Amino acid sequence: MSEPAVEVKNLTKVFSLGLKKDYVVAVDNLSFEVKAGEVYGLIGPNGSGKSTTMKVVLGLMAASKGSAKVFGLDSGDIRARNEIGFLPENPYFYKHLSGAETLRFYGKLCGMKGAALKDRIGELLKLVDLEGAANRRLGGYSKGMLQRIGLAQSLIQNPRLVILDEPTAGVDPVGSRQIRDLIMRLRDEGYTVFLCSHLLEQVQEVCDRVGIIFKGRMRREGTLDELIEIENQTSMTIENATPELIAEINELIRSRAGARVVEEGHSRTSLEHLFIQIAERSREEKS
Amino acid sequence: MSDTPNAPAESAPRTTPRGAGKSVPIFSIGRVYTIASSTVTQLVRMKTFYFLLAFALVVVAVGNFNIPATPAKELSMIKKVAFGTMDIFAWLFAIVATALLIPKDVEDRTLYTILSKPVRRIEYLLGKLGGVLSVIAISLVAMYAICAVVIFSRESLFVAAEYDSMKASGQYTAAEIEEQLSLIQQQGLRAELGIAVLASFFKASVVAAVTIFLSTFASSSLFTIIVSILLFLIGHAHHMASSFWLDESGNSVVVQMMVKVIKILIPNYQLFSFSEGIVQGEAVVAALVWQMGGLTAGYLVVFLLLSLLVFVDKEF
Amino acid sequence: MKSLFQKVPRLVLAVIGLAVFGLVRAPLEDDLREQLVAANLLLPPPGQGAFEQMSQSALMGTLGGLRSLVATYLTLNAFEHFSTKSWDDLRANYLIITNLEPRDESHWVSVIWHIGINATANMEIDTRLPAFERERRFNEYAFQAIDLAERGIAQLPESFAIRLQLAEVYREKLKDDCATARVYGEIVGLPGAPGYARRFYGYFMARCPGREREAYDYLTALYREGEAQRLPTLIKEIKNLEVKLAIPSPRRIPDGDPDRRPQKSAEKPAKVLPGGIVVP
Repeated sequence: MSEPAVEVKNLTKVFSLGLKKDYVVAVDNLSFEVKAGEVYGLIGPNGSGKSTTMKVVLGLMAASKGSAKVFGLDSGDIRARNEIGFLPENPYFYKHLSGAETLRFYGKLCGMKGAALKDRIGELLKLVDLEGAANRRLGGYSKGMLQRIGLAQSLIQNPRLVILDEPTAGVDPVGSRQIRDLIMRLRDEGYTVFLCSHLLEQVQEVCDRVGIIFKGRMRREGTLDELIEIENQTSMTIENATPELIAEINELIRSRAGARVVEEGHSRTSLEHLFIQIAERSREEKS
Repeated sequence: MSDTPNAPAESAPRTTPRGAGKSVPIFSIGRVYTIASSTVTQLVRMKTFYFLLAFALVVVAVGNFNIPATPAKELSMIKKVAFGTMDIFAWLFAIVATALLIPKDVEDRTLYTILSKPVRRIEYLLGKLGGVLSVIAISLVAMYAICAVVIFSRESLFVAAEYDSMKASGQYTAAEIEEQLSLIQQQGLRAELGIAVLASFFKASVVAAVTIFLSTFASSSLFTIIVSILLFLIGHAHHMASSFWLDESGNSVVVQMMVKVIKILIPNYQLFSFSEGIVQGEAVVAALVWQMGGLTAGYLVVFLLLSLLVFVDKEF
Repeated sequence: MKSLFQKVPRLVLAVIGLAVFGLVRAPLEDDLREQLVAANLLLPPPGQGAFEQMSQSALMGTLGGLRSLVATYLTLNAFEHFSTKSWDDLRANYLIITNLEPRDESHWVSVIWHIGINATANMEIDTRLPAFERERRFNEYAFQAIDLAERGIAQLPESFAIRLQLAEVYREKLKDDCATARVYGEIVGLPGAPGYARRFYGYFMARCPGREREAYDYLTALYREGEAQRLPTLIKEIKNLEVKLAIPSPRRIPDGDPDRRPQKSAEKPAKVLPGGIVVP
């Protein structure tokens, strides 16, 4: 069994509010693992503690309690950050730099230089389809382009883990589709992807495993199948089914005691159902 | 449908996870250099150097004032205006650029992407400070070159005119003419003026280090700029204040304590104004310049360490 | 929950660090300050008088380490007063300037020239004023110039330029040959003093009643130094003294080379600026 890419154990993060002794628990005893090579999605509404968790994993924040490790290294360790590529939500890079200069800057920060860096920049610009805008300053980039150059930036040093914070927030549907495609390509190339989102449809499409976080606590976690599976229900996808075949199947089911057809077609929003369910349940718990 | 980009995750081909990357040095001058040079690029692309044009205009204008002054006096005035302007540029730029750049990185979240790379926070601070100081150094050298040209051309003109008129009067010996010309040359272009530029650079370095320290905990750029300027003014006055309030008996203990606290907490910027003496034509004492350089280095190290103390735990 | 309030103790720690650094550097800085002041690279704080007279902007500039710039601005302003012949304003300006930069010789030279030469000259010709008032102001300005020169000499005891300017006031305005000779005499011993000061000392001593003999000895000693000193005026002055003191012929110097004699007596060049500098 290989080392987990991210290992968060009993993570608690408390913020003090001003000088008074008031405080807010942003993350509450959270534990989860992101296995090497998988796409893991942490989902939850705004303010649920996703970004805080991410910042602790990135070493931008210290845990109040518990730990976060990246490939076995403490998240505060500078070596851990060499393994991570990070794309923040709505990234703003230096507007005065061009796309290629931005990648060069981040590459140099990772100790890259010379032909290797040049080749890598070319490769990444091609990957994110920004070759045509390589020499344009970022001030003139659209939001989708910024997100893509951000993604390229996160990959510059060939990290093992890519962390994406709301990767498609504020991007139009076409741009959003491009980014989803890129994430899937990353997984195919062996990157571990850890993403945060509140856009469930997107998570459902790309993630191998999903954790649902609410008010700083992990509510449910598992593979997509496990999460949306309904134990006493089975769905079947049939290709080239004629109306006659469907009628026959329906007939067969009706003939069995207790069995019935609940729904026909895809359950596109099942994750969303689950999510809302959890949200309602935790609200009830609180009251 | 299986070849569409929307294919379900399970159906995609999988490869083995990627291997570990190369090791990371604990501290890297290369990373500091990268951040510093990016800061220089940023400031240059913010059109900072346009200031040099304005400076050139001021110096040339002062050089051509038609005032009934002696050549030496006129040269001295050109020098004072030029070096005074250089000094203001250096410290003001140090405050504004330093106060703007770091909070801007935080606000724009550029800092997230930088610090999520294998970059130490001290490297980031050093890089930013290095970038600002490089721009100041480049500007000072350029301004010095501009005023050297103006001073030298005026000086040559004055020397030639003086020589001709003294010669024509027939009243003076060659040695006396030489003496008179050396009076002008004393106020002209001399190597010591380079030390005056260095003095302004020392001052700007300390100002920038103090501003970096302030910006690690300040909530806004405006706050940093205002407090830095305030400290700058107090830092010039506190010797005067302490000689005025501490030496005079009859001042309350509270006032005396306050003056002492200010003296200990706020840098003594007045010391760094020794360029004024050099510009006035006083002789430079090399040992003192070295000591001032050492003091500047001390300020830089201490204020960077203090900045790091606050910055290293700062959460974004 | 110790980490809860991390930020505050960090800042407190930083302030403690700052204080420790302050305690370490304070004696070093005091020592450096003394050395810099001794080397004239740093100025002592402006005198109390300067603060009282300064405008707010000038005060801020002074506090902000911009003494030179403020002084230069006031110098330009003084030229403005010069062109409008506002002598009292000009003097007030220079009182601040010389307080800000007491070690800048040119300020002292300028103000003595303005008040001692220009203002007095203006009083000689300003027909708007009655003759009595003109004469009174003429004397007032001349004595103000002498007072300024004394203050400048107190700041810069080795300055020959201030004394040259002072000598000009005595010589040209007060026509006091003895005082002129006395000032040139002081100049002679100063480092960097122009060579002609020695001859001028002799010339004015020669005109100071009672010092003729001394002047004769002094000038002949100069004459014996060699060709470089044997300028037409020197020869003329010695000749005058030879007659006045009835020096016997064998001991008299030979007549001057007529070729070296200028067209007209040029003891003083056509236009002299502060510091005895000739303007073409």
